[in-house]
Amino acid sequence: MLFAAPAMLLFATFVLLPLGASVYYAFTYWDGFSAPRWAGFANFARALTDPTFLMSFVHVVLYILATLVFEVSFGLFMAVLLNSDRRGFSLMRGMFFAPVVLSMSAAGVLWKFVLDYRTGLLNSTLRSVGLGDWAQPWLAQPETALLFICIVSGWKYAGFYMVIFFAALRRIPRNLYEAAKLDGANGTQQFFAITLPMLKQNVIVCILLAVTGGFAGFDLFFTMTNGQPFGATEVPATWIIKQAFDQNQIGYGVALTVVLTVVVSVISIAYLKISERGHVTRY
Amino acid sequence: MQALKFPLAVSAVAILMCTTALAQEVRFTHSITGGASRVALDAIIADFEAANPGITINQIVFDDDQYSNQGLITQLKSNEVPDIFFEWAGYPVQRDVEAGYAYDLTEAMATDGWKESFSDAVWTDGAGTMVDGKPYLVPLSLDLTNTIWYNKKIFAEYNLTPPATWDEFVALNKTLAEAGETPIVEGNNEFWPLGNWAGHIAAMVVPPDAYIAAFKQEAPFNTPEFEKALNLLVGLHEVGAFNKDMQALGADPAMATFFQEGAVMHPIGSWLVSETANLAEEGFEYGQFNTPPIDPAHPLANSVIGTITGLVVHKDAQQPAEAIKFLKFLTSEASQVKWAESGQMSPVQGVSEKAKLDEQTQAMLALMSNASGIVPPPDNKYPVPVAEAFYQAAAYAASGEKSAKDALVWLDETLAAMGKQ
Repeated sequence: MLFAAPAMLLFATFVLLPLGASVYYAFTYWDGFSAPRWAGFANFARALTDPTFLMSFVHVVLYILATLVFEVSFGLFMAVLLNSDRRGFSLMRGMFFAPVVLSMSAAGVLWKFVLDYRTGLLNSTLRSVGLGDWAQPWLAQPETALLFICIVSGWKYAGFYMVIFFAALRRIPRNLYEAAKLDGANGTQQFFAITLPMLKQNVIVCILLAVTGGFAGFDLFFTMTNGQPFGATEVPATWIIKQAFDQNQIGYGVALTVVLTVVVSVISIAYLKISERGHVTRY
Repeated sequence: MQALKFPLAVSAVAILMCTTALAQEVRFTHSITGGASRVALDAIIADFEAANPGITINQIVFDDDQYSNQGLITQLKSNEVPDIFFEWAGYPVQRDVEAGYAYDLTEAMATDGWKESFSDAVWTDGAGTMVDGKPYLVPLSLDLTNTIWYNKKIFAEYNLTPPATWDEFVALNKTLAEAGETPIVEGNNEFWPLGNWAGHIAAMVVPPDAYIAAFKQEAPFNTPEFEKALNLLVGLHEVGAFNKDMQALGADPAMATFFQEGAVMHPIGSWLVSETANLAEEGFEYGQFNTPPIDPAHPLANSVIGTITGLVVHKDAQQPAEAIKFLKFLTSEASQVKWAESGQMSPVQGVSEKAKLDEQTQAMLALMSNASGIVPPPDNKYPVPVAEAFYQAAAYAASGEKSAKDALVWLDETLAAMGKQ
């Protein structure tokens, strides 16, 4: 107990205490300037009727679904495609992985320039090839803003998932594929009969990372649109920041954070429980 | 040991001197990050430090949005509070006083005729510099928070002149849009730029009592008068007045777009003048006009939207006497002449006559002095969440996302969910 005390003290100071304080502030009206006033469950009741907050969960679910396509699936596709020792493939893997090392905020700012309505690379290219009518304010339209955030997120993170899958692919014994070939299995059959089942654990981990990472998504949304236009790209984290700091409603912002924490925890635990059932050996 | 005595004594004296020097440091936090006004402020501070060798001014500067969102609150809550902090008049000052951050300047203002050195208008009830009759904000600038800046060259190209009525204004926008120009550039990704203007338009249309009652959440927004106000924005949208990327563009890039001739007009505040040197090409000619009268019978038909910005001494300031000394220097006539010549409208009496003001500052001063009233920006006068919700409703209407009626229904529902602020 004595040996564990320093670690426990640090844990209590930097984790438990802030956590407890957060829960307390969630039950208060607090603007950050004056003293907090007890609010009971008012902040939570408001959260459940706050249309922007509720819609932010819809947006984040859409974003997560998109990340499963643009990041996890595409990362898996690229890993399989580039799973070769042939000349130049390692360079291609490196290039595909390169955006991962860029900070998310930098990527957001970079792509904001690319997608700028007046001077952005995309619209300038369209105009230069005589397709000026196709030039759109991509990040100012509710129909396109979220889609472009998903695409940028895919560009940024597909390489990350590719590396995870690539490492796992290298551990699959080659003789399984050789045996499949002898049995007459083509590439697609080998993928579904060998590769995918052998990568099951990695897929589970990648999906969990995409789901929890999606709920925590903030920097790309903040730098590219900050929830605009009209809340079409609002996710819980951007809305929480706006409520807590832009509008000085810290008590309400903390309550939203508590709700988000509960939602993410429930989803993560449920997902882990369900995925565990699939690979636990029962005696 | 003897050999060590002298260096130790020197070190002790040096430490003592450093401590003394630190004790005279005035921590001054604000959001004036650049432009001609920052140059002027730095020059005034240099003059003050030269005249008062025992006092140094340590500027802690944040970008405007960062300052108002996190920068100020973090410092006010810290163990090392700023001695002086920048603040907007009205609701923010009242909040600071209630939270115990603002120093009562009654006594200081009574000495050396400091209070009388300012224009009488800054000490009126509606000015937002005082709470319960006590002065807390040292006025530094009069800000027009919205006026319509226009490119003189493009206006001349189309034989246009500043409009005298709202209908003329709409027609002017239509002419420009049909000619392929972007009539108005607005950077509204944070809602306040258009929101401030919409607040002024609504104040010029809605009866004053109904306007105040709605922002105080004592009456609904969904009334024919507010609908008329938002319909004016819908009308502008329908003639193609606004830039297509309005909701994705920030306030600063929008200003840059105006200076780069990417649009003909730009509704924003008086601070545009101090950015001209940074953003405009040599010879760029621009002017400004107020939002044209909409209903001539309305008591605020010829009003302007504006506020006072200034400085507050922290109640727990380490150096209150030195802070006040600096503020007196900063608001002295000589310093304010420099300040006004950087493109700011000084609240100090006589400065406007003595300073060599540029054409734009003179025009804005004339506009303010001829106005039938000054409408405060909603986010300076009323609870920020209410003002922000109104701003978003205005953005819905101006971008054609919702009809005026639907935007107001959304606004009332949002405020109902929010509860009384």
